[in-house]
Amino acid sequence: MPSEALLAVRDLRVTYGAVRAVDGVSLQIDRGPFGLALVGESGSGKTTVGRAILRLVPAAGGTIRFEGRDVLGLRGRPLRDYRRAAQMVFQDADNSLDPRMRVGATLAEVLKAHGLAPRGAGGGAGGGAVGDRVAALLREAALDPELASRYPHQLSGGQRQRVAIARALAVSPRLLVLDEPTSALDVTAQARILALVRRLRSERELAYLLITHNLAIIGELCEQAAVLYLGRVAETGPTAGLLARPAHPYTLALRSAVPEVDAAARRSRIILSGEAPHGAPPPGCPFHPRCPVAIDICRVSVPALRTVAPGRQAACHRAEEVLAGLPAGTAAQLADNRPGDPLSTEP
Amino acid sequence: MKLELRDLQVRFGGPDTRPVASVPELTVDAGEIVGLAGESGSGKSMTILAVLGLAGTAGATVTGSVKLDGQELTGLSGAALRAIRGRRIAAIFQSPSLAFNPVFRVGQIVSRTLRMHGLPAGQARERADAAMRSVLLSPELLRRYPSQLSGGQLQRVAIALALALRAEVLLADEPTSALDVTVQAEVLELLRELRDSRGIAILFVSHDLAVIAELCDRVTIMRAGEVVEQGPTGQVIAAPRHDYTRELLAAVPRIGG
Repeated sequence: MPSEALLAVRDLRVTYGAVRAVDGVSLQIDRGPFGLALVGESGSGKTTVGRAILRLVPAAGGTIRFEGRDVLGLRGRPLRDYRRAAQMVFQDADNSLDPRMRVGATLAEVLKAHGLAPRGAGGGAGGGAVGDRVAALLREAALDPELASRYPHQLSGGQRQRVAIARALAVSPRLLVLDEPTSALDVTAQARILALVRRLRSERELAYLLITHNLAIIGELCEQAAVLYLGRVAETGPTAGLLARPAHPYTLALRSAVPEVDAAARRSRIILSGEAPHGAPPPGCPFHPRCPVAIDICRVSVPALRTVAPGRQAACHRAEEVLAGLPAGTAAQLADNRPGDPLSTEP
Repeated sequence: MKLELRDLQVRFGGPDTRPVASVPELTVDAGEIVGLAGESGSGKSMTILAVLGLAGTAGATVTGSVKLDGQELTGLSGAALRAIRGRRIAAIFQSPSLAFNPVFRVGQIVSRTLRMHGLPAGQARERADAAMRSVLLSPELLRRYPSQLSGGQLQRVAIALALALRAEVLLADEPTSALDVTVQAEVLELLRELRDSRGIAILFVSHDLAVIAELCDRVTIMRAGEVVEQGPTGQVIAAPRHDYTRELLAAVPRIGG
C-alpha cells in the first residue's frame, strides 16, 4: 500500500492562534487517476487542509509525504519543484486571475516562471512556441483558443474557472487540489466543469483532492471520501459505500441536506440544529450538540476514528447502529425533533 | 392575486433593442412560492429588479405592468414606491454579507430600517427581537457586527427584517446559492414555514432545479431573457416540454450518480 500512495497526510494539525482548525487529520491520495473527496461545512477545516498540503499555511504538527518525500521540511528549489507537481484551483476564479492580464498572458507567465517556455518570448496571445502551448492548454480545458486575447471580466464564471484549471495544468502537475471549484457556478456550468475534471482525470491520469460541501458531486469523481467536522475526520471510506450507507450521523445529515429533483429520491430531511461552534469544540464528541442520536457517553467521551466495516472508518460511539440503518420512521422523527432516542429498540 | 406581472420587458437601449428580460405573465398568490429558474444571464435578476422598481438605477428601461394587490407599481413616484419597497415587498439576495453595512451593528441596521418605515423606536426594538426569534436566532445576535455572523445567520436576519415589516411579498434572488447545503436546507425550511404560517407570497429565483423542485408550487423557466416554460413544478419536472428545461434537469447533480 505505501508504494501506491502519491500523498500521505498523517495526523496533520494546523492552528490559528488558539483555534485548532485542523486537529489530527490523516488522508491518503493514491497515484492518478484517483480522486479523494474532502467534505464538510464552512468552518470544518477542509480548505485549511488543502492549503496545508500545498504549504500555503504552516502545519503545527503531523507529516505530509509526497511520493515518499517529506513535504513539510522542503525549502528552496525542492519546494518550488513540489509546488509545480501539486497545483491548486481556487473556489473563486474572479479573485485568482489577474484582472489586468489577458488570458493568454496569464498562461504564458506560468510557463515562463517554471522554465517551460523561453522568458524572452512575447505575450501569450502571440504566435510561436508559447502561443501554441497556450492554445493547446485552452483547448484541453474545452475553451476556444481565441479567448487568449480576452481579459477575465470578458469571460463567464465557468470560462474563468476553466482558465484557472488550464493554468494549473500548464505545469503538468501530478496532484490537483480543487477547492470548491464549482460552488460559485450555475448548475449547468458546474456540470461542464465536473465533466472536464472527469475527462482530464483519465487523459492526464490526474490525482486530485476535491474539496466540497456538496455530497452530490463526488459520486462519479472520487473513489474515496473523507468527511470533516470541526477539524477532525468524522468518517472516511469508499465513496459509494459512504454515500449509500453513512456510518456517522453527520454524514447522514449532509446527505439528507442535498436537494433532490425526484420526489422519490428525497430523503426525510434531518435538519441540524444550529451551526458548528466556532473556537473551542465542546467536551466529548465534537458533533454531540447537533447530533440527533447523541447519548450520555457522547457528551463526555471523544470517539476515536476506528474501523467500523471493511475499508470504513468512523468517529462515532454509535457507528455500528447508524451503519445498520435507522429504523423506519426515525428520519421523520428526527426531522420533527420528536423526543426520544430514534435508535432505541425499546417501544 | 398578490403579485402580478404582465408583458414586462426590461431593456438596455431603445424600444427596438432586444429585451434582456421579457415576461408575458407571472403571478404569485398569497401563501404560494413560485420559482424563477435559469442560468446566469437568463434575465431572472433583472425581472426581480424591475418588480422592485430598481431596474432604472441599473440603466434599464421597463415597460409593462407590475401589480401588487391590483395596484399598478410601474410609474409610481419615488416616494410612493419607497413606502412599498422594503416594507410590503421585501427582498433577499445571494450575498447577505453585501446586504449589511459592515460598520454598523446588525441591530442598528434592523431598527433603523424599521423606523424608516414608520415604527416608533420602542416598538421597533420589540418587533426586531420577535422577528429574530421567529427565524430561530437569538436576539443577542443583534448586538454583533455583520462580520461576526455566518452567511446563514445573516440570511436569516434578512428574512427576519422582512417579517418585522410584515412584508406581503418576498423576492428571494438565489438566497441559498452562497450557502452550504446544510444551511441551505434550513433556509428553505424557513421559507416554507413563512408561506404556510404567514401566507407570504414568495418569488424564488434559482439556477438549481433541485432546489426549485423541493420548494416551489409553480415554476417559470427563463433562457436568454425569455420565458420558455411555465407550470406546476411537479408537472414541469416530471414532463418537461422544452429542451432547455431538460438540459437544466440533466445538470443537477444526484447522489445516486
